[in-house]
Amino acid sequence: MSERILAEKNLVVRHSLIEIIEHWAIALSGLVLLVTGLFELPLANRYYITSLPGLGWSGDFIKSLYIHYAASVVFITAAVFHLLYHGIRGERGMLPKRGDIRASILVIKSFFGKGEEPPFEKYLPEQRLAYAGMAFIIAMLILSGLVKTYKNLYAPDMPLTLVLWATWIHNIFFVLFILALIAHIGALVLKPNRPMFRGIFTGTVSLAYARHRHPLWLAELESGCEGGRKEGSPAAYGAAEAGDTGAATTTHEDAQETFAAGDVIRDGTKEKNGA
Amino acid sequence: MSKERLSGLSRRSFLKVATGVAAAGAGITIPGGARAAGDKRLATLIDLSLCDGCPDREVPACVSVCKEINRDKIPRIAEPIPVPWPRKKVEDWSKKREVFDRLTPYNFIYVHRAEVEEGGRKKTVFVPRRCMHCDHPACATICPFSANHKYENGAVVIDQELCFGGAKCKAVCPWEIPQRQSGVGIYLHILPNLAGNGVMYKCDLCQERLTAGKLPGCIEACPRQAMLIGPRKQIYALAEERAKAMQGYIYGKKENGGTATLYVSPVSFAALNGTMKRQPGRPDMKAEERRMAETDKMGKAVLQAPLYGIAAGVAGAFLSLSRRKDRRKGGATDHE
Repeated sequence: MSERILAEKNLVVRHSLIEIIEHWAIALSGLVLLVTGLFELPLANRYYITSLPGLGWSGDFIKSLYIHYAASVVFITAAVFHLLYHGIRGERGMLPKRGDIRASILVIKSFFGKGEEPPFEKYLPEQRLAYAGMAFIIAMLILSGLVKTYKNLYAPDMPLTLVLWATWIHNIFFVLFILALIAHIGALVLKPNRPMFRGIFTGTVSLAYARHRHPLWLAELESGCEGGRKEGSPAAYGAAEAGDTGAATTTHEDAQETFAAGDVIRDGTKEKNGA
Repeated sequence: MSKERLSGLSRRSFLKVATGVAAAGAGITIPGGARAAGDKRLATLIDLSLCDGCPDREVPACVSVCKEINRDKIPRIAEPIPVPWPRKKVEDWSKKREVFDRLTPYNFIYVHRAEVEEGGRKKTVFVPRRCMHCDHPACATICPFSANHKYENGAVVIDQELCFGGAKCKAVCPWEIPQRQSGVGIYLHILPNLAGNGVMYKCDLCQERLTAGKLPGCIEACPRQAMLIGPRKQIYALAEERAKAMQGYIYGKKENGGTATLYVSPVSFAALNGTMKRQPGRPDMKAEERRMAETDKMGKAVLQAPLYGIAAGVAGAFLSLSRRKDRRKGGATDHE
């Protein structure tokens, strides 16, 4: 387990190398899937995309399909690995909890200057909800994609009902995937979220930011519990509920006295510059 | 398709096969019991030694009956037809419905006349051309909306209610069979100028007639019984026998990975192909490879990918758990 506080560097390790690799394997192959999936629609030629330098292949449906397949190998392997690796290790910090919807509304309101953010665990409640949403979208894309691939290879005459289900699930969840991706990247437009950005590249976030925004997570790490991470354990769920009901608000307010959002970002920049 | 109907069809088509054999004078008969029970796959045979292009008719019988059967298939065309953007290609055949010497949205079969010289002898061969109903039809499998589908009986059928007319099926068909009619179809109700451009049309092997236990129009109408339909295995066997008997050739068995249409010809298909100039709506007869085959290996890797993920996930998790356990035993601080 890699989550830990690097006090001397003023950093907290948020993601292990494996998690970073998983994220980028899914993100990059997902991006390739998105583009080649679009090219499976007869639009590249019509919209002159084929005339763009380096995109001459975009009008060739079979080349696009080949790339789509190649990217799916990475995408599916990474997604299944993710489920099993973290499932077996009992890491459930990203799964939604009771009260997440209500808490998310509060958080979103706070982004627009209405009210205060509650103190967070490692993940924000809307991150947990977004994770569940994205995981569901990806699962549906993979399942329907596997049916479509099987049809292409072995059973072009499989029952039309099954083909139509697979096709339309694939198409509808493709649109949802694009929307979810926009929302996922769009979340970084919101200032309070930006200090998390470096985490998905370097694995670390600034200690000041973590202390200010994720006090429940830091408390877990500081309590020295095994592996530094207890989210998903009954105790952690208890803590979350306490947080949701406002029991930990004092910590949050205390933290706010020392760290205004702007400071956190400046801290982040300083660290980056320093590095 | 119900079992009853199917068996009815098999009986009829079998009869047609048997009659065809008799007409060919090859003296081959297939006992009724030889029909494979439960084999729903059909195939058609086009015997070029029999087709004479209907010299006594202005339009060959197969073509005119096909036109008649499908006369009202295409709904009324929108006026004016929306002009697509940015490529402004509108394909409108609605005012040229009578065209019968090429494939159009209003003409699913035509007869090519080939003047060939083989072995110093001049010969005229007539070649009816239509959709081959491929065994692995890329047109159907990679239609983005599954508007095109291969049915269990082997017929590849476009659903005109679902088709956007993007012509992807035509692009991936080695013979570019499907033909577009603009100004009709579902795209009119969505973004007519930006997405889609009509509906693709082609031979559907008279799927409706097959379902009703009838023969495809062209096969029923052929005065020379040059076209036959029947259980796939028998048609394949029959094609072999006829080709052997006439020391001829077969086309459609391997082309594009195999099809449900076998041409049998006394003249080589290379020679016939030499008389064909590939033009819109007029396919040639090259020995086409199945291009989708290039993706098969990668497709198999996709189907195996969940297993790669399971293996890596389980191995990774247990490895890390056992390392954690070891560290605890060793009393090391758990920081990795």
